[in-house]
Amino acid sequence: MKDLKTYLESGILEQYVFGDLSNEEKLDVENNALQYPEVRKELEEIENALMSYARSNAIEPSEKVKTNFLNSINTIDQVNNSPSINTGGASLRNLQFYKYAFAASLSLLFLSGILLINLNNKLNESYVQLAVLQSDNQKFSNQVNYKEGELRDIKNALQFYQDPAAYKLVTLKGSTKAPDASLLVAFNADKEEVMIDMTSLNMPSNDQEHQYQLWAIVDGKPVDLGVFDANDDSTGMKKMKFIKDVQAFAVTLEPRGGSLNPTMDKMMAIGNI
Amino acid sequence: MGLKTKITLSEPELVHAIQKKDKSGAEALYDMYSSSLYGVIFRIVQHEEIAEDLLQDTFIRIWNSFSSYDASKGRLFTWMVNVARNIAIDKTRSKEFRNSSKTEDIENNVLTLDKKVNSEINPEIIGLKDLIEKLKPEHKIILDLVYFEGFTHVEVAEKLEIPLGTVKTRLRNAIITLRKVFN
Repeated sequence: MKDLKTYLESGILEQYVFGDLSNEEKLDVENNALQYPEVRKELEEIENALMSYARSNAIEPSEKVKTNFLNSINTIDQVNNSPSINTGGASLRNLQFYKYAFAASLSLLFLSGILLINLNNKLNESYVQLAVLQSDNQKFSNQVNYKEGELRDIKNALQFYQDPAAYKLVTLKGSTKAPDASLLVAFNADKEEVMIDMTSLNMPSNDQEHQYQLWAIVDGKPVDLGVFDANDDSTGMKKMKFIKDVQAFAVTLEPRGGSLNPTMDKMMAIGNI
Repeated sequence: MGLKTKITLSEPELVHAIQKKDKSGAEALYDMYSSSLYGVIFRIVQHEEIAEDLLQDTFIRIWNSFSSYDASKGRLFTWMVNVARNIAIDKTRSKEFRNSSKTEDIENNVLTLDKKVNSEINPEIIGLKDLIEKLKPEHKIILDLVYFEGFTHVEVAEKLEIPLGTVKTRLRNAIITLRKVFN
């Protein structure tokens, strides 16, 4: 070294002891200390002086710090050479913290569990309610459909009364087979419609094997206009096939689905236009 | 507890005991250096309870990271006081600490400090007090800022508005005075 004295007095050794040097500078000082006993001696004296200064400014901490410290480190008792693992002091505080944290987590978990069960119950209730509402809804829409159907029937029926000129109403009277039977047939040549008023229908109920068949009498010959059932709850206007130049309508009881020619001895009702 | 004998070992013995994780090494370490390190920590944080917590943290860190101490590079105390200072300074920079210290009665802490230092029952120290008075105030203030409060030389120069060279010179002179007093 060029000038050891200058180096010793530069203040860098003091800075080294104070920990106020960059790593590079620190390494440099350490190398010099290895190389020059004077540097090493100077460093030691600085350290000793500062240590004494610290000692002269010492303050006695309370005894519990020592206990806590000794309780929170892992030491080996040289007497029986067994490691004693302590959990006191700082780690006791840590442990305390973890204990509380654990307890808090457990409580949270428990609370979440209860909430979850509660929510699940409510969800299930909601599903049930939803199902009930849906079935109610279905019922209502069925009712509405039904009512709409009824309304349509009624509107159709109303047409006769609103527009009596357009419709010819033919009342078919019961034959000797069914003296009380009666049936109203509406005939509209313009709209090419033939309809049976099911509401005012008064015919003996037919069974599953048989159906009534409506015939038009055109120039003395029967023409098929379709089949219908007579039940107590039939309502509205039932549209049948149309044919022009009708002179009379007749109803016979035929096997289900109707026949090509009317079975004359099953003539139930007849009426002229 | 106060009457319990304090363990003292030579520095190489102590270092060896700590390296072996010997329980008596831990006790000796604490007995020999706790009050000196506490003095440093207390000066920085100015709060008894916090200072004691930090002292405990300091010893735990010294114990657990002892492998990073290299005896060839300096005395044990020099290394430890750096650990203590860093822990204490980190604390003062924490948000939590800054918030709490605003409400602290600083006046009270200064009184406690004086009382504590004065009531120190350490026969080594009695008499040295007077010698320390030999430190010039302009030397002492720099020494205390650097040694006890961890200011860098640059920070001291800025704080006291004096050239960096002056800081270095005064610091060196302060230490020379101490060397005369102690060695």
